Amino acid sequence: MEKFMLIFHGGAYDGLSPEEMQQRMGLWFTWIEKLNKTQQYVTGEPLLPGGRDVKGPNGQAVTDGPYTEGSEIVGGFFLIKAKDYDEAVTISKDYPDFDMGGYVQVRQVMKMDM
Amino acid sequence: MGENKDIHSLVDHLFRHESGKMVATLTRVMGLNNLEAIQDIVQDTLVTALNTWRNGQLPDNPAAWLYRVARNRAIDLIRRGQRFKEIAPEYAYTLQSDFALSSAFHHVFLESEITDSQLRMIFACCHPSIPMESQVALTLKTLGGLSTSEIAHAFLTNEETINKRIYRAKEKFRNQDVHLHIPQGEELSDRLDSVLKSIYLLFSEGYHSSHPSHVIREDLCHEAMRLCLLLAEHPQTNLPRTYALMSLMCFQASRLSARLDDNGHIVLMKYQDRERWFRPLIEKGHYFLRRASEPFEVSTYHLEAIIASIHASASSFESTDWKSIYGFYEKLNLYQPNPVVALNKAIAAGYALGYETALQEISAIDGLYGNPVYQVSLGEIYHKLGQMDLARKHYEIALNITASEAVRQLIQNKLSDLG
Repeated sequence: MEKFMLIFHGGAYDGLSPEEMQQRMGLWFTWIEKLNKTQQYVTGEPLLPGGRDVKGPNGQAVTDGPYTEGSEIVGGFFLIKAKDYDEAVTISKDYPDFDMGGYVQVRQVMKMDM
Repeated sequence: MGENKDIHSLVDHLFRHESGKMVATLTRVMGLNNLEAIQDIVQDTLVTALNTWRNGQLPDNPAAWLYRVARNRAIDLIRRGQRFKEIAPEYAYTLQSDFALSSAFHHVFLESEITDSQLRMIFACCHPSIPMESQVALTLKTLGGLSTSEIAHAFLTNEETINKRIYRAKEKFRNQDVHLHIPQGEELSDRLDSVLKSIYLLFSEGYHSSHPSHVIREDLCHEAMRLCLLLAEHPQTNLPRTYALMSLMCFQASRLSARLDDNGHIVLMKYQDRERWFRPLIEKGHYFLRRASEPFEVSTYHLEAIIASIHASASSFESTDWKSIYGFYEKLNLYQPNPVVALNKAIAAGYALGYETALQEISAIDGLYGNPVYQVSLGEIYHKLGQMDLARKHYEIALNITASEAVRQLIQNKLSDLG
């Protein structure tokens, strides 16, 4: 098994009613439950909006950010186990927020084999 | 964060109900004229919750978590002095210090105060200066946590119409025509009547609606019952008529699932499977009817609840005590004379006194020509009296004017019975 990081971009919930939000949370929980059953869910965290960009030769240029397009903002990630990219992509298709304009970036975690 | 919590531990409609509670609570401090900004705070709070919880970890007490986020956000916005019109006068001191500000919010988020805030909000939404249909829409939006599009969907209309209704109501809030309090003394009786009427209308909308979705109809009924229960459990508003309306809704709601067949068609009470009437609600109906009997007063809700209780107690349609039902419709017709009550009285007369009497009574009713129930009932009475041509005529009129597929199906069946 390889490890993959699913990075969630965009997908703002602003237009949803309270009931729709609760239903959507149900979809996320179902997804995680499914991954837990096959023991493929490793971890995941939500990220708050806003943040700081630290740049420059000595890291002295600190700015509020990232002020990117709404669709680019990373809202959270999962770390999962999968056989290969194909399986990781198949898993990503259960991501509940495609209809909210969100998308998933799939990245393989590098193994540090000695 | 509780590790073992999952979505199943989230109460049904938690977001919706907590959203109503938060709006009512924040309004206590920030005032009705800031309703728009308050609704934004609550929406942001729920979005934050969804973003935070969707990774599968729920806090031990989700409601308390929501309140904390909403409270902090409100305090933050007030401190920055953004977007706020005048704050509620009794909380104006809160602006003087951070300590006063956060303790005011702590106070209103106490459990007992949340109920109190909701009641104040009900009275504000159902203020007599606001048109009836706006009252219902605003109540669903602010207390029920429904979005404009959900309300429009439930009422089979468009968002623009609902927005207009809500706008009209909010105008009254902006002009400060409406105060956020539970009326007392002499004012209470009239104001409570206005609230109960709005709740009754909300319930009827769900119960009689021809909406294709069973879930939506039930939701409206349950929301009406939830709000009425708040009134019934509060010492200032638990008048006999509040219990009577609660009783009426329990009896009616007990039949909700028996009212539709598997294809979503309306089943007349005559043909309903009484085994499917929901017993616990019938018992609740009797309980609230007993509570409604003291101190003595008679309201239309009393009479309607009693009629509903007689239906609920009958083991079959045929063995129903129609004479009593007819008697209570006569009384109802005195309290609240209108063509629909007269129509129900005429229908009851058919079973209690015979179809000749029913025909006399129904013929005396004016103004229901375009009402499908009236036409179907007239058809049925002629049918029973053996006047098949007249029966056919009125069934066909009904067929032409009804908008409901279920009712159309029902009339088709009657027409084929005629042969």
